[in-house]
Order: sequence, then C-alpha cells, then structure tokens
Amino acid sequence: MRELQVKWLLALCVLFIFIGVDGVTVSAAVDQRVYDNANLLNESEIAELEVVAAEHSEKHGTDFLFLTISDEEVFDIQDYMGDFFDAWAVENGQENAVLLSMNIATRDVYLAGFGTAETTLDNQRVDLVLDRILPEMQRGDYADAFHETVTTSSRYMEFRPGVNPESIFLKTWLHLAIALLLAGGVVGFMLYNSGGRVTTTPTTYFDDNNTRVTSKLDQFRNKTISRRKVPKKSSGGGGGFGGGGVTGGGRSFSGGGRKF
Amino acid sequence: MVIQYKCPNCGADMSFDSESGHLSCPSCGRQDDIETFPEDNILRKFDPGEAKEYHCENCGAIILTEAETTATHCSFCGAAVLLADRLTGDLAPAKVIPFTISKEEAVAAFRKWTKNGRLTPRGFTSGDRIKKMTGMYVPFWLYDIDGKADVAALATRVRSYTRGDTIYTETDFYDVRREMDLSYLKVPADASEKMDDELMDKLEPYNYQELKDFRMPYLSGYLAEKYDYDDEALFSRVESKIVPYIDSYIGSTISGYSTVSYTNKQIQANKKNVYYTLFPVWMVYYDFENKEHTFAMNGQTGKVVGKPPISLFKVAAWFTGIAASAFAVMKVISFAVGGVFW
Repeated sequence: MRELQVKWLLALCVLFIFIGVDGVTVSAAVDQRVYDNANLLNESEIAELEVVAAEHSEKHGTDFLFLTISDEEVFDIQDYMGDFFDAWAVENGQENAVLLSMNIATRDVYLAGFGTAETTLDNQRVDLVLDRILPEMQRGDYADAFHETVTTSSRYMEFRPGVNPESIFLKTWLHLAIALLLAGGVVGFMLYNSGGRVTTTPTTYFDDNNTRVTSKLDQFRNKTISRRKVPKKSSGGGGGFGGGGVTGGGRSFSGGGRKF
Repeated sequence: MVIQYKCPNCGADMSFDSESGHLSCPSCGRQDDIETFPEDNILRKFDPGEAKEYHCENCGAIILTEAETTATHCSFCGAAVLLADRLTGDLAPAKVIPFTISKEEAVAAFRKWTKNGRLTPRGFTSGDRIKKMTGMYVPFWLYDIDGKADVAALATRVRSYTRGDTIYTETDFYDVRREMDLSYLKVPADASEKMDDELMDKLEPYNYQELKDFRMPYLSGYLAEKYDYDDEALFSRVESKIVPYIDSYIGSTISGYSTVSYTNKQIQANKKNVYYTLFPVWMVYYDFENKEHTFAMNGQTGKVVGKPPISLFKVAAWFTGIAASAFAVMKVISFAVGGVFW
C-alpha cells in the first residue's frame, strides 16, 4: 500500500516536470539561441547564456542570437551571418533579432540588428556595444563578452530610437550633481542676500556729461599663427567595418564589425 | 541755542510731516510751509552758560543729549527740539533728503519685509515684536568726483579656422591705450561713527530728485546727529567705493578683443565738491528670542537692511526642495528625450 503511494507520487512529479518543461517550450518559440560551432564556450556557459538571452528576448520581442565559427575560408563575415540569419528566420518564423557572429579563425566579430532591432539597435548603438565588449574579446573571455552583449544591447534598446544611450546628459550622476549645485547656489544666494542686497551699480553715480574718452589708440603689433592637425576619432582597437546592409534573402539590418 | 517751532494757532510744538512735507501741529492740525514759516513763531533761546546744557523751553527740563545729537525730543514733555548751535557754521548741513515714509508706513514696510523672509524662523516672520522705531537723520558726505585715468593694455584677437586637416589659430596682438576724463556725482559716505558702514552702503541708492537745500524744520520731530568724520577723513572710503565703478567703465571702453591684460593703469580721483547732507533712516530695534536685532530702513525708499536670524530648518528645506525638484525635472526631460528614467 505504502509502495503504491510512493509510485503514484513519483509519477505525479514526473508528470509535473513534463508539463513544466512543455510550458516553457511553448511560451518561447525559439529553443536555441547560441550556435557555438567553434566550441568557444563550455556546457554551463552555454546554458547560462541561453537563460539570459531567453529572458531578454522575451522582454523586447527580439531574439538575441550568437554564432561562432572557425573557418579561414570565410572572408566576409557579414555575408556568412546574412546567410545564417536568412535560414534561421525561415526556420523559426521570427524576423526580429540581434545577432552577434564571430569567426575565431579570422578574428572578426560582427553585431547586427534585424527587424525592429534595426532601429532599436542602430549602427551607433552597435558601435557602442562593440566598444564595451572588445576588451573582453581580446582577452579571450567570450562568455563574459556575450553576456555583456545581451545586457548592454537590451539596455540600449530601451532608449528612444536615435538617442545616444551613453550621452552624458542622460546620466543620473550628472542630474544629481547639477541638482545639488543648483540648490547650493540658490540657497547660498538667498543666505548672502538675506541682510539686504547692494543695489547700486557702476552707473548710479555716473555723470555721462563729463565722463569721456579723450584719447584712444588701438595699434596692431604682431601676429602669431599656430597649426595643429585635426584630431582623428580613435576607434577602440582593431579596424571597424560594416555598418549595416541587406542579406542575400533581402533582409535589411543595422550593424557593425571589428577585428579583435 | 535751542530752537522750537511754535504753532501760530495754538502754540503747541510743531514737527515735520513726511506726507505733506510741511510743518504740522499735533494739537490743532495746522500745516505750515517750511519756506514761509513766520519768524515770530520760531522760539530761539540762548542759554547763558551754553556750553553743554540745553533746557526745554516748555518745561524747563534739561535736555539730555549725546555730544553728536542735533535734533531730539525733550525727554520730559516730548517736545521736538533742535540744538541749533550744532547745526550752524561748519556744522551746517548743505542738503537734506526729508523723510517720505511715516512711522506707520515704516512699520508696515518692515512687517512686509519680515513676511518675505524666506530663511527666517517662523516667529520672526510675524514681524510683531518691534521694540522701538527711531526716525533719524544720518550725516553723510556727498562727493562730486573729478578724475582722469590713463591705461595701457595688451589685447589679443583670436581667430580659428580649418583648412584641410589642419586647424589654424591666428592671434593678433594690439597695443591699446585709453585716456579718459571721469566724473561721478554725489557719491555718499556716512559720516557717523555709530552707524555700520556696510549697513549704510546697502541702504543706497537714494533718489536725488528730492534732495533739498537744508532747513532746520525738516529735522523737527526726528533725531539727528552731526558728523564725526570730516570730508577729508572719509575721502579714501569714497575712493575705494568708486574704483570698481571706474574699472568697469574702463573695461567698457576697450571692446572687441578676446583677451585684455593691463600693463599700466593710472587713476586719479579728486573731489570737486562736497556736500554735508542728512539722509533719512528708520532704525528698527526688534526683539527675537531674547536677542535684539537692529535693522535700518531707507526713510525715502523703504528698503530694509540688516542681518535677520536664520532658520537652519528652512535652509535645509529650501535646499532639499530645490535639489529634489531640479532632479525630478531633469529626469522627466531625460525620459522625454531618451525614453528611459534610469
């Protein structure tokens, strides 16, 4: 009798687990987002990245995809990832995606935004994300680089399209500093003037009938000219390339690539 | 010599009325023009041993004064008396600005000022603890100043432009010289030792349209003092007062340059005319939390100066209020622009 109860319980548990797993697969139509063909990540890193990617994918209705390859024959990673995404989009019936692809053999990395992500993650934002992940890529810390790609892109996509998400005017610390300085200035001014303000000006006692310039000289003396080069905007390590385009399947995208 | 103005109707002591600008009788209400007041009703009395003691003509009491006092009240019968020998000869004022704000108006103006005190404690803002208000003519010297300035400076004009991938910065240097005549009229400096200089400076400016030739009846009913410092002694103070004005004028004559650095600056200021003048000031003595605070009010314009007590709580409240609302406004703007709060 007791054994029977235990068996029933076990069966129920198994049933619940299946229902649970089934529930997850139903709500997220996409079941794989990390395509680590170059074997740069270990099992647990892939699992963790899948979780993070799934979470943020749901938030934006945009899938975060990762593609790694190791192929010296692939000269143009932009074409390769375009072909990959054409196939992936047809297979999964999903047009909105952020795709980070890298070729470890040629040391190229390319980040692209498809569908709605083409505007929410435009070329400028792609460059900002690449700036942040490039040091980790160069160190070979791919798991962290991919993780940061998801979180940073996801954060940037919350901003209104076209706005620079790293603009100093949108930083909280600047708002706080301005607020404190302003309050200090205003209250300081009030304190200083609490005992009455000096309201005489240089013109109060000025006699303009009898004040005048009697002699005036503005003699040119010499001239100096200094030259300097227009400073070039430095890009953070490795040459940049890309800047969006259209895939072989006719899907347009925003994007940017770097060597690392 | 003691002077009292007797009413031609009823013989009471008349005093100056700030509203009408006339001598007015408190008993019968008669008003008399200061210029045409009958000589017969001016009571002048010479004390025989007039060195230091004055006697009220009404009640015979000794008038107690300080050595600087020129106008006061008899402390026994309250009659307005002037001590004429302290207002004649070298001590005769040349000009006076009469009071235009009466005592009632002064109290009202002071209350209004305390009410507007944003940082003062709540009990203070009610303005109902005025202990004493004294209308006082404060002695000032007004200086007409003539001067010359001769300045030399090295000035630059900087232009910057880009040709190809090079930025050119062109700096033109100029020798600049200016000679000028300077003139400032009726710059005041208070000549009373008792009065705080900074307080008196803040009471300025007075409206010189109402500057009148001095006549004694203006002082009747108020306190007045004679000067402690003569015009020579105060000239350096006036000089230091107008030097910033002169500097700002010099600066305004050299324009159109990116930078100006003075290599030589010679300023000469001489006094052309000096007028011994009495300015009207209401002194307000105010009790708050067992401390007496002194304020001064311009008796012509109603401007109030003086250090009020400060409430730390209100300072903190204003600070946090301004900081918090500025922060909120910036957050709303950044949300409107960027679509994100944090």
